[in-house]
Amino acid sequence: MTPEPSTPNSAPPGGAVPALELAGLRREFADKVAVDSIDLRVPPGSFFGLVGPNGAGKTTALSMAVGLLRPSAGRALVHGVDVWSDPIEAKRLLGVLPDGLALPERLTGGELLTFWGRFRRLPTQTVADRTAELLRILELEEAEALGTLVGEYSTGMRKKIGLATALLHSPRLLVLDEPYEAVDPVSARVLTAILRRFTDAGGSVIISSHVMSLVEQLCDRVAIIARGQVLADGTLDEVRGGGSLEDRFVELVGTTDLAEEDLAWIGS
Amino acid sequence: MDRELISLKLTTLRHTAPGMRPAGWVIGSLLAAATWAAAFVAGGDDARHSILTLGLLFWGLGAAIGPVLMSGAGTLRPSWFALLPIPRRALGRGLLVSVYVSIAAALVLVALLAVSLHAALLDPVTLVVAIPGALLTWVFVIALSRLVYGLLGAAMGSRIGIEIASIQFGLMFAGMFAGWIPVSIAIQRTPDLLATGITDPAVTSGLDMSPTSWSVLAVERAARGDWGGALLLLGALALCAGAAIVAAVPLLVPSTSPRTRRRRGRRRSAGLVAGAGLLPRTQTGAVISKELRQWSRDGWRMVEVQSAVWGGVFIGALALTSEDLRVIAAFSGLFVAFMLGIAACTMYGQDGSAVWLDVVGQDETSVRADVRGRQWGAVLVFLPKVLVVTALFVVLSQAWWAVPILLAALPALFGAASGAAVLVAAVGVSPGVDPRQRVGPNDAVGNISLHVWVVILLISVAVAPTAGMVALLAMSPSAWLAALTAVVGLANGFGAAWLLGRITIGYLTARLPDLFSRIRYGQVFRDPATSGALDWFESATLKGEQEAKARQQKERADRVAKSSAR
Repeated sequence: MTPEPSTPNSAPPGGAVPALELAGLRREFADKVAVDSIDLRVPPGSFFGLVGPNGAGKTTALSMAVGLLRPSAGRALVHGVDVWSDPIEAKRLLGVLPDGLALPERLTGGELLTFWGRFRRLPTQTVADRTAELLRILELEEAEALGTLVGEYSTGMRKKIGLATALLHSPRLLVLDEPYEAVDPVSARVLTAILRRFTDAGGSVIISSHVMSLVEQLCDRVAIIARGQVLADGTLDEVRGGGSLEDRFVELVGTTDLAEEDLAWIGS
Repeated sequence: MDRELISLKLTTLRHTAPGMRPAGWVIGSLLAAATWAAAFVAGGDDARHSILTLGLLFWGLGAAIGPVLMSGAGTLRPSWFALLPIPRRALGRGLLVSVYVSIAAALVLVALLAVSLHAALLDPVTLVVAIPGALLTWVFVIALSRLVYGLLGAAMGSRIGIEIASIQFGLMFAGMFAGWIPVSIAIQRTPDLLATGITDPAVTSGLDMSPTSWSVLAVERAARGDWGGALLLLGALALCAGAAIVAAVPLLVPSTSPRTRRRRGRRRSAGLVAGAGLLPRTQTGAVISKELRQWSRDGWRMVEVQSAVWGGVFIGALALTSEDLRVIAAFSGLFVAFMLGIAACTMYGQDGSAVWLDVVGQDETSVRADVRGRQWGAVLVFLPKVLVVTALFVVLSQAWWAVPILLAALPALFGAASGAAVLVAAVGVSPGVDPRQRVGPNDAVGNISLHVWVVILLISVAVAPTAGMVALLAMSPSAWLAALTAVVGLANGFGAAWLLGRITIGYLTARLPDLFSRIRYGQVFRDPATSGALDWFESATLKGEQEAKARQQKERADRVAKSSAR
């Protein structure tokens, strides 16, 4: 399949400074190019979805965007602030939920949020109020009452406490890697409501996901990434071009067809 | 079923790096040979009885608790078979049988068979008792080893497991630092033991009560013509072995109950953790409080602390056994304080990929708060334990003259150790298995042999002013010089902690993402700088980790190639 050229970037509304801008961002691991000089712009106030197959480079790109992984080349700017030349100012604006990384496993959710709030130098009362509110809204109060440690949390609960750490200091941009993974439907609704409120208040969200229907339902802008390259980028309608996002995704990324004789033994 | 599990175990062993196993086999072979040799050169039947009962007890204890430390590769883990439709009893039996098929188990059997030498020398006919006796003892101690391991809840799942693992590490440390004391005493006394055996009847009858001694007793009874008594002892040994097997099998099968333990008791309300407590409500206070919780709740960190404490206790106890050296016992607490440096020199690696929080939360003061908070956290965890060990052994050794020296040496050592630890932990970060995947007691860190030497070197240099003052005090003791030495020790401690911490802060401020990269990706994505000592240590430790990884991959590839060739 020949990848189609990327849809030209739509300029951010009003020419405002993008909430996140990746310019020529690149990372190799030994001989493998994980992220191949990508350009992306997330307009302020937008709900941006980054979709791609496993190993496409989503996590690597987002890790470079938030200051966790040094790029080989290129820049990452948060509201115009370069993450790698002015990390302190950029990180003040950022809330991050990475995928698959450890947390201080021997703290309870409440202790983790309290530590994080203090570490972020928030006032004591603000930390206490926000911690209590986040634990209540994300339904982690019972686990807290039982003294359950983060290391004992289920995958979904870990996502929720991770989201709480990302939100606690009230950032302007949320970068969330697979935020809905393993989250139950009720909590997913709460999550969506929180993120919607965040964007309504002027914040910007970028999420990565494999789930096309979810991205279609949530995001106003989408980028499809595969083999480290951006294959399409724009508003949801621009990218899906009249069809569904999944069809467009399969069309750009390709699929493995199951031949008649493959796995014939299944169910026999 | 049993054959398949044995085959799986051998395959697993083939596909893992041998690590320290060959060294263990060599040591085990030497000990087994020593057991036989000691039995052979014993001065008489009574002496041989003493040597064998004592030796077999040590073998039994070693076999029973050894697997706690060797729970890594090669052990078939019950969870692998949780979803297979195999009857639990058959699986448990198969897993138990697979434990007997190993070089370590074979070495235990060789050592236990030393009883056949006793039989041959007493009356060769009694070999018919000695060999089944040795086999039954072997079945018993190996089943016991699985029982102990199972009861420890995979060693790290319970407080008692952590404590037992710590005692073993503590014994190892004490052996390394003060092992020469019992060895010298043993050398003085060994000719007596070999010539006459243990002459204290209470000790002899105590040893005879251990099931590991029963094969020896059975041989002796048979040699006296009391074949009924011999059979009775073998029967009792068989019962013990059967009981150990029956108890061990259910612990070997996959557990269906949740692994996690809920912490019950004190309610941890958000208000309480956010608003109360003795620690300052600052960025540094937040890190101290997080570190104190991690040190007191993380099994791997608890092992580090408790190993140091037990190491100090055993060193003190060893020193007290010698009339000439008992004054050394008063300084046991110094060992615990020194071990802070070793225990905490892996603190960033212990956090694993959770270090991402330090990276994304970086602000103007966060690195300083993180480094200082970690230093204070480690000191606060070790301080009460050091004081208890010190007080205990000063009292037991009655070496009151050591108190002024301890007043200077303890703060100096604490400060130097906390500074050296945080610097080495940051510059030479050595990630082990990420926190959520840890199982065995050694999972938390990678290869830290170089780190240990650097910590020892840094501490030695950093406490030089206090050491100088102590030497001066020893040469010309006086009250005012003792007071001055204590003041110098305190200033030395704070100075060393501040300076080494300051260097760490400078290093991390520029290289925080690299710290994360080393943990997450095993490499640094920055042009290597080789201008100073820190750069040298950073690249040496990184290279060490990468080479170890490459070596493991190559060994694996070679083994796979060999298997395909066959």
